[in-house]
Amino acid sequence: MKCKVCDKEAVDDYCEAHERAYKNLVEKYDVWKRALGVSWKEYLREVAKNEYTGSWVKEVAEKLAETREG
Amino acid sequence: MPPLEKYVLIVTEKPEAARRIAQALDKEGKPEKVEENGVPYFRAVRDRNLVVVPALGHLYTVVHERGRRSYYPVFNFKWAPRHLAERGAKNIQTWIEVITKLADGADEFIAACDYDLEGSLIGYCILKYACKNKENDAKRMKFSTLTKSELEKAYEELLPNLDFGLIEAGKTRHEVDWLYGINLSRALTLAAKRWSGRYTTLSTGRVQGPTLRFLVEREKDIQCFVPTPFWNIKAEAEVKRSVYEAEYEKAKIEMQAEADTIVRACSGKSGKIKRVEVKKFRQMPPVPFDVGSLQAEAYRLFGYTPRGTLNIAERLYLEALISYPRTSSQKLPPVIDYRVIITSLSRNRKFRKSALTLLKKTELKPNEGKKSDPAHPAVYPTGNLPERPLSDPEKKIFNLVVWRFMAVFGEPAVKQSVKLTVDVNAHMFYLRGKQILKTGWMSLYEPYVKTEEVILPPIKEGETVRLRKVIREDKFINPPSRYNPSSLLKKMEEEGIGTKATRADIVETLYNRNYILEKRIFVTGLGFDVTEVLNEYCPSVISVELTRELERKMEQIQNHEENRENVLMTAVDQLKPLLTEFKTQETAIGEALSNAIKKARLEERTIGKCPHCGTGKLMILYSRKTGKRFIGCTNYFKKLCETSFPLPQRGTVKPERKDCHSCGWPLLLVRMKGRRPWRLCFNPDCPLKKERKAAS
Repeated sequence: MKCKVCDKEAVDDYCEAHERAYKNLVEKYDVWKRALGVSWKEYLREVAKNEYTGSWVKEVAEKLAETREG
Repeated sequence: MPPLEKYVLIVTEKPEAARRIAQALDKEGKPEKVEENGVPYFRAVRDRNLVVVPALGHLYTVVHERGRRSYYPVFNFKWAPRHLAERGAKNIQTWIEVITKLADGADEFIAACDYDLEGSLIGYCILKYACKNKENDAKRMKFSTLTKSELEKAYEELLPNLDFGLIEAGKTRHEVDWLYGINLSRALTLAAKRWSGRYTTLSTGRVQGPTLRFLVEREKDIQCFVPTPFWNIKAEAEVKRSVYEAEYEKAKIEMQAEADTIVRACSGKSGKIKRVEVKKFRQMPPVPFDVGSLQAEAYRLFGYTPRGTLNIAERLYLEALISYPRTSSQKLPPVIDYRVIITSLSRNRKFRKSALTLLKKTELKPNEGKKSDPAHPAVYPTGNLPERPLSDPEKKIFNLVVWRFMAVFGEPAVKQSVKLTVDVNAHMFYLRGKQILKTGWMSLYEPYVKTEEVILPPIKEGETVRLRKVIREDKFINPPSRYNPSSLLKKMEEEGIGTKATRADIVETLYNRNYILEKRIFVTGLGFDVTEVLNEYCPSVISVELTRELERKMEQIQNHEENRENVLMTAVDQLKPLLTEFKTQETAIGEALSNAIKKARLEERTIGKCPHCGTGKLMILYSRKTGKRFIGCTNYFKKLCETSFPLPQRGTVKPERKDCHSCGWPLLLVRMKGRRPWRLCFNPDCPLKKERKAAS
């Protein structure tokens, strides 16, 4: 199975790098929600355009924003 | 030239050191320089005739004893002249021939190479191989500066033997590093070549592997980083008609709504001073430079790489301006005679004022650091002043060493901090003042210290302060910072891998192999993939523990607590199963590495997103018809985008990984022979280009 973001081998949905990025993304949503009251979709948009966001996280956030999961 | 009667042959590490030593030891200070087949040496006369001959660093190295280049594992090695192992080292052969000839006419031998692992090994190899087994008869000169007085003393008080502890440790280090380097690098390179049919040098090593791993781990943390928001509140506080910056009691507010409530509650309001806290504290002078702290300071102040700083420091050492720089010591023993050095430095107008201040002190006592080195003191100026105009970087490093040396003898600085707590509607704001009461050592290190003072007016508890403006600042937690060459060196030192002499070279190798890029270090795809492959198939190679353990054992050899054979056997025992496993997986590894190389080559030519179609990538391409290079969009092949831009045809062109500050398009770095590299914005409509055109 291929990673949803890149062409690397995936364990589940993502390769090892993007899986770690995805987990971080999910984990930090609570902090954002509490801080700004944003929805998941808004959160993905904000994270994807933030200059401090890691590029693997950006790729996952952009992918999720495109799909229904977003 | 008349033949000399028997003489003492003194072997040094470099030509400039030979000249200095000959000049210091010759009774008239005028040694005769002789050149034979391009190899310089010096004839001097003292109590007897002396011949001082330099090496060119290492003349001998570890080589594969016999066999082809294209296989592994290889465990049979020997020490051989460098020209047999390295291309471009042809002059070494002549060099060795001249030394051998000079050795034939000598009846006493002295090693006068730098007193450390490498220097001792250089001297030993020359005495053993070029001078035909004179290593057990030779004596040793030990010195930390190339000043006349110290060299004369070292010659009068010769050590009766070579330092075999250091030599054994040095030999073992080279041999262990060779075993790891040759086997693992060959394994990687051959695996990739067998899969793809193309040759690319890939390398790893005992220290290189774990160092790259630190960088990869940090890169992963950065790439997986999700910033979280927080807010802080700043205010402009009016105190006795002056305005000062105040900060809210909570440095980090985690909810925007809370931050807004505070801003609303405090804007334009007045509050009472609830508490005035005044603290006085002493700040001790800095400690003397060891090589690591010199490299770190030069990076902080001038942006010089550790390797660059070390090269400059070595030049200054060879000119007898500073002491031996490859030292771990932060101590300055009284024997170097602080007062004489400072008096001597006072001859220079730039240092005079500080030097005279110090000379007025009845006692000069340096503020020493914890680290020590049995072979050398900390880096210090010898007191000699430059005999030639120094280049700008040399001047900067020399001045830095001088100012630092003087600063360590300074008095502690006395500073005062004031903290006012203002209560505004039960919200606390802090106003902070800082003042230097006594500059102490800071005035001796003035070019390099920042002295920002905030002096608050005299104020008492109960007085009123008005918050003119209260501002909410939107912040994000920053990702972990990238290593730079200096902080990476520090990390290697903390982790106990590599030595002070080799760390800078290892960082340099990582750049040369294209595993890392830029000063704020980025790991390339190739760097990632090589580490991933090693992590999957031979994780011990990138384990810090393994290399740290070997470092410990090599230190034990130096102290005669361990022997070389044991350490070599351990290394071979560790490598054998690892390489066998590697071989069984060679196809898979070769495929992974070949893909990584292919990707890296593509990455090297990829500039960024196409500004026209937005979906393709701009790449440096070559025309099949003309062979000329240009920038084209990858969507061209799908017939979706025809964007293209011309490129200079001479020199090399690489993506700069930075955007033009005027138009935001990606920049290219162009290098041409004989010209300084320059940044090229290829956007024909870049406003900066138009501005420049208009200006000219």
